[in-house]
Amino acid sequence: MSAFYAIVKKELQSVTREKTIMIAIIIQLFIASFSSVILVGLMSFYDPDSIGLNARISIGVGVIGDAGSPLVGFLRDRNVRVTTFPSPQDAENAFSTGMIDAVVFTPDDSGSVVEMKLFLPESESLSTMILMILKEPMKRYENYLRRENGVHIRYTDIKGMPPTTYEFRYAFIIPVLMFFPAFVAGSMVIDSISEELENHTLETLWSAPLSLNTVFGAKIAAALALAVVQCALWSMLLRLNRITIQNLHLVLLLAAVIAAIVTVVSAFTSVYFKDRERSQFTYSLFTLISVGISYFFDFSPIMLLTRLATGDHYTGIADVAMYVVLLLALLGAFFYMAKRLIAAPG
Amino acid sequence: MLILAGALAISYLAFRQGVVLGKDMYRVGISPDGPDIQDSRFRTTTVDRSAGYSLLDERAIDVYIDGDKVAHRNDTRSLYAAGALNRCLERQELARIKGEYAVYTAFPLRVEINYLPAPTDNLSMAQGTSLSELIDTLTGSPPQPAGTDQTTSEGPPSQPAEGPHDTDSAVSEQIREWEGGGRLPKIEMEFTSDQEIIIPSLMSPPIPFAQVIIAFLYVLPVSFVSVFFTSSFMDEKIDRRIAVLMSAPVTPLEIIVGKMLPYVAFSLVSVIVITLLLKGNLLLAMAIFIPIILFIFSIYLMVSLVYRTFKDTTFISMLAISVITSYLVFPAMFSGVSDLSYMSPLTLAVKMYRGEPFGLKEYLFSIGAMPLIFILSMYVGTRILNEEYLMGFRPLYRKVADAIYLTIDRTHPYLSITLLSLFLIPIVYMIQLVTLALSLNVPMHYIPGVLLLAATVVEEIAKSAGITVLLEKRVIWSARDVLVLSFLSALGFLVGEKLLLYVSLSVVSESMLSAALFSANMLWIPLIAHSTFTALVCLLTSRSGVRHYPFAVLVGSIVHALYNLYVLGVIP
Repeated sequence: MSAFYAIVKKELQSVTREKTIMIAIIIQLFIASFSSVILVGLMSFYDPDSIGLNARISIGVGVIGDAGSPLVGFLRDRNVRVTTFPSPQDAENAFSTGMIDAVVFTPDDSGSVVEMKLFLPESESLSTMILMILKEPMKRYENYLRRENGVHIRYTDIKGMPPTTYEFRYAFIIPVLMFFPAFVAGSMVIDSISEELENHTLETLWSAPLSLNTVFGAKIAAALALAVVQCALWSMLLRLNRITIQNLHLVLLLAAVIAAIVTVVSAFTSVYFKDRERSQFTYSLFTLISVGISYFFDFSPIMLLTRLATGDHYTGIADVAMYVVLLLALLGAFFYMAKRLIAAPG
Repeated sequence: MLILAGALAISYLAFRQGVVLGKDMYRVGISPDGPDIQDSRFRTTTVDRSAGYSLLDERAIDVYIDGDKVAHRNDTRSLYAAGALNRCLERQELARIKGEYAVYTAFPLRVEINYLPAPTDNLSMAQGTSLSELIDTLTGSPPQPAGTDQTTSEGPPSQPAEGPHDTDSAVSEQIREWEGGGRLPKIEMEFTSDQEIIIPSLMSPPIPFAQVIIAFLYVLPVSFVSVFFTSSFMDEKIDRRIAVLMSAPVTPLEIIVGKMLPYVAFSLVSVIVITLLLKGNLLLAMAIFIPIILFIFSIYLMVSLVYRTFKDTTFISMLAISVITSYLVFPAMFSGVSDLSYMSPLTLAVKMYRGEPFGLKEYLFSIGAMPLIFILSMYVGTRILNEEYLMGFRPLYRKVADAIYLTIDRTHPYLSITLLSLFLIPIVYMIQLVTLALSLNVPMHYIPGVLLLAATVVEEIAKSAGITVLLEKRVIWSARDVLVLSFLSALGFLVGEKLLLYVSLSVVSESMLSAALFSANMLWIPLIAHSTFTALVCLLTSRSGVRHYPFAVLVGSIVHALYNLYVLGVIP
C-alpha cells in the first residue's frame, strides 16, 4: 500500500511543480468571474430591481396629454418622479434643463387603442436604461387597457422573485465549477499515463513489486484527489459569496464520483491509444459529446447537481448511487482489461 | 485542447439559451382546471386542491397553481419558482389572448419612441436642432394620431375606436418576431429606425445575442487555426528542425512570417467566406477582423516561443483561449448599452451587422491596442528566436526576463527602456481590464481597493521590469543610471498613457472606470510621481538584489496606490 501512496505523492508533486493545476484553477476562476460580469449585465435588463442598481436610479418623466391617465399612477408605483405639463413647450424646457429624463405623451384613452409617444434622450445607453425602467409600468397600463377592452388576462399578479440569477447560478455556474475539475483531472491522467507509455517508463515501474493496476489506481487517485480539493474550494468560495448549496455533501459526492468516472474513462483512452495527442483528442470529444447527449436525459449529472444544490424534494442519495454503480462497473472493467490493452499494439 | 474552444462555444450557446438551462429545476402542482405549462424548467403534476396545498407545505412542490391563482411559500426556492412561473405564464397568456381576441383589443397600447438630444450632452446641443423644433415637429407632424401642436396643448384622441390603425402592422410584425424568437431572448429591435413602435408586453431587452453569435463565428475558426499554428511550431521545436532553419541564411523575421503566413492567410479566407455568406460589408469586416487575427496570432506566437513542452502549451493555450474569448465576446453583449463595450472589437462587428455607424475614435479605441501588441510580439519574437532560448528549460519568470533582456538593444539602453514602457501599455491596459473582471470574486466593498493595488502593481512591473533585467545582467549598476532610466521609463509610460487616455476619454467619457484606472490630470506631477515610484522600485532592487524584486514592486505599488488615493481625493 505504501507504494500506492508513493505514486500518488509523486503524481501530485509533478502537478504542483509544473503549475498546470494553477493554470487550470485560474481558468475556472476566470470563467466564473466573467460569467458573473455577464450576469450582472444581463440582470440590469431582465430584472433591474433584483440587483438594486436601476432601482436606486430615480428617473423623472414628464407627462403631457391626459394627466389623469392610469399610467401616471403606475409610474409613481415604480418610483418614477412624474410631473405633468400642460404643453409640450413646458415639458421641453424641463427636459432641456435636465429636470426630467423623458417625456411621455398620453392621449385620452377613449378608444380601444392608445397610441402613446415616448421621447427619450438620444444617448443610446441612457435611453435603454429608461426604457427598461418604464417597461413594467407600461405593461401594467397595457393590461389595464386590455381589461377595459374586455380581454381577460390571467396571472398578472404573481409575486415571487426574478429567477435569472438563481437559475444561472444553480444551473450553470455551480455545475461548471463542480465538473470542470473532473475534466482537468481526466486530462491529467492522460498526460501522465501516455507520458509513461511513450517513454517506456511504465515497464520499469510495473516490473517492480507493484501491479499495473496499483500504478493506474494511484494515478487515478491522485487526479481525483485534486479534483475533490478544487470542488471543496469552490464550494467554500461560493459560500463566501453567500451562495448556499443545499445537500452539500451529496453535491460533493456527485462531483467526486463524476470526476472518478471521467478519469477512469480517460485512463481507458490513454491505454487504448498509447499516444498522447490522439487520447487527448478522443477524450475531449468524448466529454463534449457526453455533455451534449446528457442534456436530453433527466438523470444527467448536470441536472442532478442542479436539483441537489437547489434542494429538490425528490432528489437524494439514490440518484447519486446510480453513478456510484456506474463507476464501480467502469473501474472493474478497466482493471480487468488494462493489462490486455497495454499488451496490444497501439 | 482544440475541443476546448468548442466546449466554450457550447457552454456559451447553452448559456445563451438561459432559460432552458435549468431543465426540470422547479416542481409545480397544478389543479385540474389549471393551465398547461409548456416550459421545460417546470416538472408538473396535476393534483387536486387539498393535496396540492399540503404538498406545497411539505416543500414537495415549489408552486401550486390553483385555477387562476398561484400559491407559493416564502422561502427562496419557492419565490424564485414563482418568479419563473410568472414569466412563463405571462408568455402563455399573451399567446392565448393573441389567438382569442382581435389585435387591437389584445394589444391596445402602442408606444412610439422618439429621440431628443440629451440635455447634458452639450456637444449635440451645439450641433443645431433645437429641442423645441424637435418636439414640435415630432408631436405635430406625424400624420395620424394626437394632433398636439405648438398652440393647442391637449391633443384630441386619435381615431374612432374600432378602425384599423397605422400601428397595427407594427404590432403584427412584433408578434411574429416574438413567436419566432421561441424561447430564446429575441433579437432586439433596431434602435436606429426613425419611428419605432413598441408594444410593452412584447418588448425584450436590447441585448444583441444574435449579432454577438455572428461575431463569435468569425473568431472560432481563427482560434482553431492559431492552435494548429502553435502545434506546428512546437513540433518543429521539439524535432529541432527549427535549428536547421535558423542556421540557414534567413532572418528570424522571415522564419516567423513564413511560418505564420499560411495560417494567417487561412484565417483571412475564413473571414472573407463568412462575410460573403452573411452578406456583410467585406471591407469593414476586414478592417475589424484583421487586427483581431493579428492579435490572436501574436499571443500564440509567444506561447509557442516561450513554452517548451506540449503539456505546458496545452494548458496555457486553454487559458489563452478562454481569456481571448471572454475578452472579445462578453463586452460585445453590451454594445449599445454601455460605451465600455467598445473595448472589444466584436462590438464593432455587432454594430456593423446592426447597420449602425461608429466613428474612427471608437474604431481606434477597440482595435488600437491589437496591432501594437502584434508589432511588439513580432519584434520580441525575432529577438528571442535563437536555439538557446527556444530549447531552454526554465521557469516562466526566467523565460520572460530573458525575453526582455534579449529584446532590449543593449547599445541604446535609454531609448530601449523608453520604448519598452511605451509598448507595454496596451498589454497593461488589457491586463487591467481582465483584473477588473476577476475582481468581482472579491467581496463588494473590497473591490476598489483590490483594483487600485492590482492596477498599480501591474503598472510598476511594466515600468521597472526592463531596468531590473538590466540590473540583473549587470549592464547597468550605478544609481545615476537607475534614476535616469526610471525617468525615461516613466516618460515612455506616461506618453503612452496619455495617448490611450486621449482616445478612451473621448469614447467612454461617462465611465468612472477609465478615470480611476488611468488617473492623471496634469502632466508634470504624474511624470515626476511615476518616475519616483519606478526609481524607488529599481533602487530597492539594485540595493537588495534581484531576488527581492517582488518585494520592491510591492513597496513601490503601495506608495503608488497611496498617491492615487491622494489624487482621487480619498486621502486628504
